[in-house]
Amino acid sequence: MADVEAVIQLKNVTKTYHLGGETLNALDNVNLTIQPGDFVAITGPSGSGKSTLANIIGGLDKPTSGNVIVDGSDLAELHDAKLSAYRNKHIGFVFQSFNLQATNTALENVSLPLVFQRMGSKARKARGVEVLQAVGLGDRIKFKPTQLSGGQRQRVAIARALAIKPSIILADEPTGNLDSARGQEIIKLLHDLNKQGITLIIITHDLSIARQAGRIVEIRDGKLVERRA
Amino acid sequence: MKTIDYIRMAFRNIWRSKLRSALTIFAVVIGATSVTIMLTLVFSIKGFFTQQFEANGTLQQVAVSPQSGVSDYNSISNNGGGQGNCGAGTCTKLTDALVTKITALPHVVGVARATSSLPFAAIVFSGKPYTLQGVAAYDANGIITNNIVAGRDINATDQSGVVTVPSIYADKWGYKNNYKALVGQQIELETQGFYSGVGATIQKPNTSGPNNPPSPSNQQAPTYIKATVVGISSNGGGGGGGGQSNAVRVPLPWARLMEEQQMYQQTPGSQGGQNCGSRGQCQPAQPQFTLVVTNNLAQNGYDALTVKVDSATNANGVASSIRKLGVGAASAQSFIKSQLAIFNVIGLVLGGIGGIALAVAAVGVVNTMVMAILERTREIGVMRAVGAKRSTVSRLFTIEASVLGFLGGVIGLLIGYVLILIANPIINKQLKLNSIHTSNIINLPIWLILSVIGVTTLIGMLAGLYPARRAAKLDPVEALHYE
Ligand SMILES: Nc1ncnc2c1ncn2[C@@H]1O[C@H](COP(=O)(O)OP(=O)(O)OP(=O)(O)O)[C@@H](O)[C@H]1O
Ligand SMILES: [Mg+2]
Repeated sequence: MADVEAVIQLKNVTKTYHLGGETLNALDNVNLTIQPGDFVAITGPSGSGKSTLANIIGGLDKPTSGNVIVDGSDLAELHDAKLSAYRNKHIGFVFQSFNLQATNTALENVSLPLVFQRMGSKARKARGVEVLQAVGLGDRIKFKPTQLSGGQRQRVAIARALAIKPSIILADEPTGNLDSARGQEIIKLLHDLNKQGITLIIITHDLSIARQAGRIVEIRDGKLVERRA
Repeated sequence: MKTIDYIRMAFRNIWRSKLRSALTIFAVVIGATSVTIMLTLVFSIKGFFTQQFEANGTLQQVAVSPQSGVSDYNSISNNGGGQGNCGAGTCTKLTDALVTKITALPHVVGVARATSSLPFAAIVFSGKPYTLQGVAAYDANGIITNNIVAGRDINATDQSGVVTVPSIYADKWGYKNNYKALVGQQIELETQGFYSGVGATIQKPNTSGPNNPPSPSNQQAPTYIKATVVGISSNGGGGGGGGQSNAVRVPLPWARLMEEQQMYQQTPGSQGGQNCGSRGQCQPAQPQFTLVVTNNLAQNGYDALTVKVDSATNANGVASSIRKLGVGAASAQSFIKSQLAIFNVIGLVLGGIGGIALAVAAVGVVNTMVMAILERTREIGVMRAVGAKRSTVSRLFTIEASVLGFLGGVIGLLIGYVLILIANPIINKQLKLNSIHTSNIINLPIWLILSVIGVTTLIGMLAGLYPARRAAKLDPVEALHYE
């Protein structure tokens, strides 16, 4: 499914926050390489820097220092337009709280990234229906988020990530708001996508989920600890 | 992001918070409606007057005065120039020779010669004298029109004995609603005492008296000149150079005779010598008098000329060519321009009031957009996460604000239009009462429609700039976590 076979390389990535004179290293000299098609689980205690790491890989945030090299270019050096284009072409974000637009239908939510690709409305609709069918919601395209269950909402969010045919899916606690059965369904869906070639990075503190990944990376106080290769 | 998607999204978002959007648009509507109505009124009234001037050919006219340096159309046409009445400037008589020169100028279609300094004191109807507001004569070649409400106007074949009288006299004489009945009636024009023109009885000086003044004096009894009323003119009609609007009109050939000055002059050498007979008896010599006729009009020239030009655009050029001949000349255009300038001022003032309303509306748009950004912060975060650039977010909000302004402008115009539809019949009725027959003088020109919509859209856009900047500057990570 992936258009680009992207190797993700983090070199000495540090993210520092300054809070009233105190400095806080959310990420402290992180070095990490993720191969195309990998399934990586990132675990660690709350506040350890997992989301910060995911956002930097996804081009939503920039490191204070260090390099984030994806597909040969350094995200740390890209300007907003290029970085936005990178997210728009390669990255599918899935969030714990779904982040769907309440007033829009499932189809409209799923089509949103395609709007920013300047895709025509007909093509958008066709692609939207296609990905909603792929996540098993072919009969819910006109439903609004409030008319869907939690698991269904997260599947709409995954469909939205899929719409652009991403090379990387970044899922930050995708099961955090779901019961374990619903959570397992979502992980299976994501895992299937990974099997089709998409690099999958899941942030979770659920070890049963982490164990399904090919690789577990643990973060403690912004420092990286490899658990299993 | 495609333009159509920007617009689609803007409309969706406006629709999403209907009440707030409606209130914001309402403020714009008030501003747009007031600006529309005020500008429409001003421009329509201006247009109406210009049209009136165009319709009676005034714009194609150049008024000529004997005074050089006079370039005020209104003073020439109202005062009729005036023979020998030269203020600061030098005077060149408006003679027939000059008229020939003017007629030969390019773009000149014709010239109407006018005199209004005819020596009359009163108009007499059924034995009673009435104060005269002037007697005027001008060429009946259609350049100066006399607005006839009954009977006919003086025409080119009329030589003498006929007049048109303004309706104010008819009203005084009891013909208020029956002007027709006055046509064919006799009136008399009472001359001033020194009159010695046509119809005057010129007394041959008493030959026996030794020192009789030979010239006519003011003590002389007035002459009464009979005339038949052929038409009634409306008040205010008969404009144009030299035509006094409330003047009694007489044919120009007749006026020429009225301007004649007849007097007896002593034949040179016929006085002083003594005629002595052969018988040594001397008798005083009988002085010899001959009637000398001079013509004021020929000597002093006409009071004013009205020159007709082939098109209104050439009027100013012809006026300046005529000025080179040493006389004063002005086109009506400059006069009309200055007359209508007041409407520009009114337009500016009223438009300014609408402008203030629009400024207040702009503040409303800013407020609404800032609120919308607070409400949609998380949504902005999502858009950024799925690939929206800062500039895309900025444009999205700018366009949304512009659409608010656009909708306000459109609705404001529609309301303004409805009010015009209501106002027009009322105005038509009023004008009809003043015997002006027009229909729907107030209209919405297309440029006004486009400018009102353009301006309100622009105001919306400008009001949206600051909120849009704020939206674009949001950090996507923080926006996604906004509660
Ligand atoms: N905008 C910010 N300003 C200051 N500090 C921040 C900011 N964002 C994150 N941090 C800090 O950086 C650290 C890492 O945050 P991060 O969100 O990456 O944690 P996390 O591992 O995802 O935690 P959780 O499992 O609870 O989601 C935290 O200590 C947090 O307080
Ligand atoms: Mg987190």
